[in-house]
Amino acid sequence: MVVAYDVQDDKRRNKVHKILKNYGQWMQFSVFECQKLSKEQFLRLRYQLEKHIKPAEDSVRYYILCEGCAGKVIRIGGEELRREDVFLV
Amino acid sequence: MAALYLMEQGAVVRKVDQRVVVELEGRTVQDIPLIKIDQVVIFGRVTVTAAATAMFLEHGIEVVYLTAYGKFLGRLQPPAPKNCLLRVAQYRASLDGAASAWLARCFVRGKIKNMLYVLQRSRREGAAIDEIFIQEIKKALKALEGAANVDAIRGVEGVASAVYFKAFGEMIKKDFSFAGRVKRPPTDPVNSLLSLGYTLLAKDMTSAVNTVGLDPYMGFLHRQRYGRTSLALDLMEEFRPVVVDTLVLACINKGILKPEDFHREFGGAVYLQEEARKKFLVQYETKKNSEIRHPVFNYQASYRRCMDLQARLLAKHLTGEIDEYPPLVWR
Repeated sequence: MVVAYDVQDDKRRNKVHKILKNYGQWMQFSVFECQKLSKEQFLRLRYQLEKHIKPAEDSVRYYILCEGCAGKVIRIGGEELRREDVFLV
Repeated sequence: MAALYLMEQGAVVRKVDQRVVVELEGRTVQDIPLIKIDQVVIFGRVTVTAAATAMFLEHGIEVVYLTAYGKFLGRLQPPAPKNCLLRVAQYRASLDGAASAWLARCFVRGKIKNMLYVLQRSRREGAAIDEIFIQEIKKALKALEGAANVDAIRGVEGVASAVYFKAFGEMIKKDFSFAGRVKRPPTDPVNSLLSLGYTLLAKDMTSAVNTVGLDPYMGFLHRQRYGRTSLALDLMEEFRPVVVDTLVLACINKGILKPEDFHREFGGAVYLQEEARKKFLVQYETKKNSEIRHPVFNYQASYRRCMDLQARLLAKHLTGEIDEYPPLVWR
């Protein structure tokens, strides 16, 4: 899933950024990719974001990609996609 | 869901928001959302802060502690499932000689059939495996059905494994040799990989057993011993050849690991070097997440999911919901 947001106020934008970091990976300004969120996780994310944004001034968009489409993303430069089947330190 | 492996000595694991942040000498080296992980595996000297520990326990994420060399030390486990009736059924069967023998035979049957599968597949792919080995293992499979009690079954299992590991060396193509199984400690690279692989498998099997609500310490094939996860070892038998052995063979035969990736300790023990161990862990996780068709349920499932499914089948058998325990057998 791709989440893009446009938030006017710096403080609120920071908050949105912080919440999204708990669910996915920051790809570029105002764009996050959240791989494989469960329905429950998605609802929780939406709820948390809705608490902070003001729909009159801000906007958040969720682009939900099917499994086939997720593989078709084309990238040039920027943030590498994190592999999520194992984390090693 | 993935495992987080921590091998850098001196690393610190912190909770930041709902994320896991790993620091090394004050630098952040990993920052991942908590929802991405379901298990934390720690090798040696790694610090987990109190806040992080509480967060893991709250979210049902278990923390497994191994020594820097990969020997199992213990685990920090979220509260056990409340299914006491299942555990009573397990203890009753475990103390009943006939029930234990019946189950032990299932586990060993699964293991021997899978060993046979690994050997025959390698032979088709060109390994020079003597027909005698195959016949010996088939003989053991027949003897197994006549074995009356758990001791006799252990005997058959021992014989079959001995034959299997005699043939195992023939499947290794590259600049490695294998003369037989050596453990505690392993004294050659192949044995060292097998030992590490079995440790990883045992930790995953234990968590599968825990998830279902069975008691990992009370087994059927393996004798009860203080601090030994006998049931996990029982259920692991059928997975050993297809998960760990084939993985070890692939790592060596495909040249993923090379002789210089190992070093010999004082006293003869052989272990993997740090970087090579990371490679092996990635291979292990990839294998665990690779999908196969489960023979009973007939749908695609990862090996990790199969471990849970087998534990669940065992639980269903113990509580009398199904008559059979079908071990996971490859064809």
